[in-house]
Amino acid sequence: MTMTAPESSLPRDFADLEPFVAYWAGETNDIRWDRRSRAPMEQIRRFYDAMLPRADEALTYLEQFPLGEAPADATRLLCLLLSLPHAAMAVEFHRQPRAAASPFPHGMNVAKGPWPQGW
Amino acid sequence: MTKYEPEMQKSAFPKLTEPNGLDTGPIPIEPYISPEWFEKEREQIFGRAWLCMGRIEQLPEPDTYIVKEIEVRGVIALITRDKADKVRAFHNVCSHRANMIVQDSAGKGSRFVCKYHNWAYRNDGDCIGVPDRANFFNLDIKKCGLTPIVCDVWEGWIFINLQKVPEVSLKEFLGPFGEAFTNAPAPSAEHAFNVNVSTMKANWKTTIDAFCESYHVPVLHPDTVGATFANDSNPYSRPLSGHARGAHRTMTTFGNPDYVPPEHALVERLAYSNLDLGNTLGANDAKEIQALLDHPAINPRRVPNWATEIAWIFPNFLIFYSPGGFFTLEFWPLSVNSTRWVARMHIPKAKDVRQRFQQEHHNCRMAEIFLEDVGNLERQQRAMESGAKTEIVLQDGEFMLRHSIETIRKWVAAKTVREALA
Repeated sequence: MTMTAPESSLPRDFADLEPFVAYWAGETNDIRWDRRSRAPMEQIRRFYDAMLPRADEALTYLEQFPLGEAPADATRLLCLLLSLPHAAMAVEFHRQPRAAASPFPHGMNVAKGPWPQGW
Repeated sequence: MTKYEPEMQKSAFPKLTEPNGLDTGPIPIEPYISPEWFEKEREQIFGRAWLCMGRIEQLPEPDTYIVKEIEVRGVIALITRDKADKVRAFHNVCSHRANMIVQDSAGKGSRFVCKYHNWAYRNDGDCIGVPDRANFFNLDIKKCGLTPIVCDVWEGWIFINLQKVPEVSLKEFLGPFGEAFTNAPAPSAEHAFNVNVSTMKANWKTTIDAFCESYHVPVLHPDTVGATFANDSNPYSRPLSGHARGAHRTMTTFGNPDYVPPEHALVERLAYSNLDLGNTLGANDAKEIQALLDHPAINPRRVPNWATEIAWIFPNFLIFYSPGGFFTLEFWPLSVNSTRWVARMHIPKAKDVRQRFQQEHHNCRMAEIFLEDVGNLERQQRAMESGAKTEIVLQDGEFMLRHSIETIRKWVAAKTVREALA
């Protein structure tokens, strides 16, 4: 049996972000929020540091598709990109994974929004 | 109640408590922790007040419905819109063996079938089908309709009343608030994302109070939102105006005009790079936003640096108007010290990926702020229940809390609703 490198699940120019897909390309707002809340700070920081310099380029790339009509690889990139604001809450606001003295787990959830990749 | 005196509102930070006819003394803690008091609220307030169920746009077309649970009254309300656009409310209970009929929270359909024995109802409440009807005993199907709940719509807001015959009309209940907020626009009312808190361990008043004073914002939310609500000219986030309006009340909060995302907040900067900072909800319909800004009751003093106009509809519903749109919060008591609440953030449908990115940042931030409140309020409830204090003290900027608790005490004591509203 021959081993071949798995194809990137992201658009080719963003293939280097592949290691982050499994955890950070959560399909819903609520999943993205929950994953960030559970991650240790080092993991959040690694994703933030890798995604932030590519964010504007990713936004520009995604602008070619009408929202909600992008192919699977671009949709995955969008989900990954949408985890960046979640990571930023920890890095830019709290300087820790979650707000000080806020409960976790908690009975709060974010329901579907009026947008693609918002559910 | 003293009528609002315009000259008292001239200074940068107008006095709010006394000009609105309120006392200045301490407030008893008992209503926040006493099971006996809670039972009185269950009857006298939630059993008698008109209760806001949300926007008409939640019923987006004919033959749609929503189900709303009012736990404090043990009621599950089925709210329907029929082909002629009439909005009605019913108890979601089958006339056969009193089972629950509709099991989802919203949907489309003109008829409802009970999943127990297939009894069927139209969305005007009529019973339209009883399987094996011949085997019942003199069953009069005309008397087998859904049990109605009194329902009315004001300016696109749906209200129900759980009295069989409400003592006052919705118009009378809304009183001066209804007059002041007639024609208030609701931009992007058809779109929202919800933040749901299924249960938190605090009294419903402890919870709603936290959303109706900005004094705490720079302290409890220093990193997430504090800097947008205070600056050197207003370090304690004093309100810019406030009005008692019958059983209801409104207040304008300060927005820091100098706020820019800090140097290190690179994602926040990216998210907001193509937007006005005042417009934190993103691009909305410009005409509706202008109508909101022009409305005489929203930021009534026309101060440039306002962040929100908080409208507190008695007892448990808040509308937050901002220069970018509006959102609502509703607080439903589950017990004396537990509450369910829902935030509906009305935002426009994103036009492009940059706006979608900004919306995710906006809603992340709102969820973080809300979670800071949840932790804080659960601690406060435990501390209140410790019995260490029998009273709380309120400052002038907390006048909405004072007006709320005074109104609640009035409703609890009053024999009739009209007396409570007097």
